[in-house]
Amino acid sequence: MKFVAVIRQVPDGESRLKVQGERVDLSGATLILDQMDEYAVEEALRLKEKHGGEAIVVGFGPERTEEAIRTALAMGMDRGVHVVFEGHADPVAVAEALAPVLREEAPTLVLTGGQQADWDSQALGGALAEALGVPVVAWTTALELEGETAKAKHDLDEGAEWVRVRLPAVFTTQQGLNEPRYPTLPGIMKAKKKEIRKVQVSLSPKVELLSEEIQEKARLGKVLDGKDPAQAAEELVRLLHEEAKVI
Amino acid sequence: MPIDFRLTEEQKQLQALARRFAKEVILPAAAEYDEKEEVPWPIIERLHEVGLLNAIIPEAYGGMGLKMLDEVIVGEELAYACMGIYTIPMASDLGITPVLLAGTPEQKERFLRPLTEKPALAAFALSEPGNGSDAAALKTRAVRQGDYYILNGTKMWISNGGEAEWVVVFATLNPELRHRGVVALVVEKGTPGFKAVKLHGKMGQRASGTYELIFEDVKVPVANRLGEEGEGFKIAMNTLNKTRIPVAAGSVGVARRALDEAKKYAKEREAFGQPIANFQAIQFKLADMMIGLETARMYTYYAAWLADQGLPHAHASAIAKAYASEVAFEAANQAIQIHGGYGYMREFPVEKLLRDVKLNQIYEGTNEIQRLIIARHVLAE
Amino acid sequence: MILVVLDHDGNRLRKGSLEALTRARALAEALGTQVAGVLLSEGQAPVEEARGHVATLFVAELGPYTPEKWAAGVLAAAKDGVKAIVAPSSRQSRTYLGRVAYALKAGLLEDTLESWAEGGMVYATRYAYLNRVTQKVRAALPVVLTVKPNTTPLAQPLGSMGEVVPLSVPQVATVEVLERVQEEKKGVSLTEANVVVTGGRGLGSAEAFKEVEELAALLGGAVGATRAVVDAGWRPYAEQVGQTGKTVQPALYIALGVSGAVQHLAGMNKSKYIVAVNKDPDAPIFKHADYGIVGDVHQVLPALIQTVKKLKD
Repeated sequence: MKFVAVIRQVPDGESRLKVQGERVDLSGATLILDQMDEYAVEEALRLKEKHGGEAIVVGFGPERTEEAIRTALAMGMDRGVHVVFEGHADPVAVAEALAPVLREEAPTLVLTGGQQADWDSQALGGALAEALGVPVVAWTTALELEGETAKAKHDLDEGAEWVRVRLPAVFTTQQGLNEPRYPTLPGIMKAKKKEIRKVQVSLSPKVELLSEEIQEKARLGKVLDGKDPAQAAEELVRLLHEEAKVI
Repeated sequence: MPIDFRLTEEQKQLQALARRFAKEVILPAAAEYDEKEEVPWPIIERLHEVGLLNAIIPEAYGGMGLKMLDEVIVGEELAYACMGIYTIPMASDLGITPVLLAGTPEQKERFLRPLTEKPALAAFALSEPGNGSDAAALKTRAVRQGDYYILNGTKMWISNGGEAEWVVVFATLNPELRHRGVVALVVEKGTPGFKAVKLHGKMGQRASGTYELIFEDVKVPVANRLGEEGEGFKIAMNTLNKTRIPVAAGSVGVARRALDEAKKYAKEREAFGQPIANFQAIQFKLADMMIGLETARMYTYYAAWLADQGLPHAHASAIAKAYASEVAFEAANQAIQIHGGYGYMREFPVEKLLRDVKLNQIYEGTNEIQRLIIARHVLAE
Repeated sequence: MILVVLDHDGNRLRKGSLEALTRARALAEALGTQVAGVLLSEGQAPVEEARGHVATLFVAELGPYTPEKWAAGVLAAAKDGVKAIVAPSSRQSRTYLGRVAYALKAGLLEDTLESWAEGGMVYATRYAYLNRVTQKVRAALPVVLTVKPNTTPLAQPLGSMGEVVPLSVPQVATVEVLERVQEEKKGVSLTEANVVVTGGRGLGSAEAFKEVEELAALLGGAVGATRAVVDAGWRPYAEQVGQTGKTVQPALYIALGVSGAVQHLAGMNKSKYIVAVNKDPDAPIFKHADYGIVGDVHQVLPALIQTVKKLKD
């Protein structure tokens, strides 16, 4: 069995972002393994621990992405593949770049985060599944292997459902699926010796990024003292009704 | 060797691990354990799980073989979240170091390996109720009787003393011989006659357990002696020459925390219609904190690098320890000042920084003792 | 042709479908083409309502939803050439349209705030970096475009009824739906609601959410929760607002006992008006609030309910 987690490196949600020349400048940001992808890595590890086989991390992005791949290796993934690409890429282009690598690996299943914390895309799972000609289960919260199939629970727009899906398949991951482990110190030491294969790709982006800007909405900041709750509530409701006109 | 200030890829990962651990595990619990004056054993278990506990133990004995620079990187991160909690693994390393320096392979196997297999601590017992800085004046007596030493006396201010699997105890065979009469003995937990009494009412670092250790006719096998009779004092000093560096690293962590808290508050708090960060009086304080933080970290790295290269580092570790702890104390003090009345309250984290870091000026050799070491180095040239 | 995917609940088109229609009509006008609709369903579908909005309506009943079937349905409707596929943005649409965009090798413009056509290209703005950055992007035709809820005026019916064209959709049977776990449906959907009332850890207990529900119901809104609350098991994950939950952009967002962690802000910081109630005057949420009350949420919340009731009378 072979379990692949597709990951990317993104800025930590708490880092301050800057924009330089209409592009987000990440030079001062703390970059981490995307937390949504971390669930994918953890699930690949759990599946491997339970069923045996190999857990492989496939990273997409610029040279620095190797750090995130190392983190996944330190968590316990067996080896890494780094598909090197500098710049912005839409999910269709990313899926095109990753498809040959994934086809070559022929995994039992592929896991990736439900949403990217940098480009806010939710489509990579679907695009990868189409590229590989396999089904996709999105926003997975439970996953069990049953022979040639997997049984999974996943979220719908409203509610959730259990499905049985033929393997191979792509699963997108999220909070609730598991609790990702720490990359331990022994893990970090072992990761030094693990292989990361570099794959250079040329992409044909379908979407062109023209500009990026940070628009902080100016807030009114009218804060009332709640020592007299009834009075404060009345004043708040009046403001919402007469000033903001939202109720 | 060229100067290179970059961390290696592994050091960056180690830093990221320690930072995440500090943020997710230590930070949310720090105030609670401070309040309760209780050792956070669940956190010690987690430290063990992620491999950050007793990690200086060499790989040959089941450890990770962390170098001093690695330890310094980890120390800053853990102390950023709570200096008191960081003191627990730090004091364990203090207990481990004499075994590393003077233990036989058999002793290392016997004492160190168990500390890698489960969450467990070591401790180091030098100070006594009547002597601290004058370490050679110790009164705890060891008397040889066949294959044993009979140990009598009291040790004071011993971090981890009650939790430790074993304690390295420094005792005298003959007080008249002063430092030449000292022997280092490993006393295991549960040895009859060995009692640990927890000290309560500490100003800061309340999550770390500090103990008075009482030895009444404790039989310690000769096989537990580190080095030779009379080498104990040298072992203690060589240990402290190293382990002062993590104290400096912890101080750097506290200084960074103080600067972060002060910066955050200065940007939020308004006076005269604008954030107080706009005022030069505040800006100068922040700048001074930054100067202290950066220089203390750089010098601590330097001291750690000397230790890792096997170069003389006694005076450098003394400078790092004294300087960084004073920088951190001043940073905590100024962070409180910037917070004004709020800084004096428990709801804000800055008063704890000051209470905690005060100890960094005292333990593992007071800063006055560090200055003696430094002065001796100056005058010897 | 501009193909608009009409999402519905079996009985009515969802509000997002009417927003998507507005976008689709604007693109059709700029690109000199027509709007057609596709109505995919598990069973029942609001065919008559949908016919009122488009000249051509492709319909197919596909059984239980899977991304594969829905992608196949959209592709079947688009098979005679399409310039743009426009759909309301949702977790489901963003999944199956990932398949569709790949199949068409189309530019995928996800969760867009605005969109327009110019010089044969489609432009859009959208949020990135967890809602903190606004990107301007463009793609050549064909494009697949999803419309962020609450960004666009709702389309009005055309005044004439469109032609219904049954679709033949190839069977895909790689996924078998075993069991639906329906969340108890309470009022409007979180992502489309005009008012969201969110409770945080400051509420102290699951029981306290009864009053949150009451206030939300009074305001015709939906209940939201922070991660801490969901982790504590007080509310279902479906109600979680934030980086790992849902992203909402209502006209009014009321945060009760919410401290305002960055991860939470990522899910709601684009709301038109933000109201915060918290006992800690230094809670970060106040920096992002238009209106706030510093006070005990357990006293302020009942007072708010009473005042809103009075206003309604």
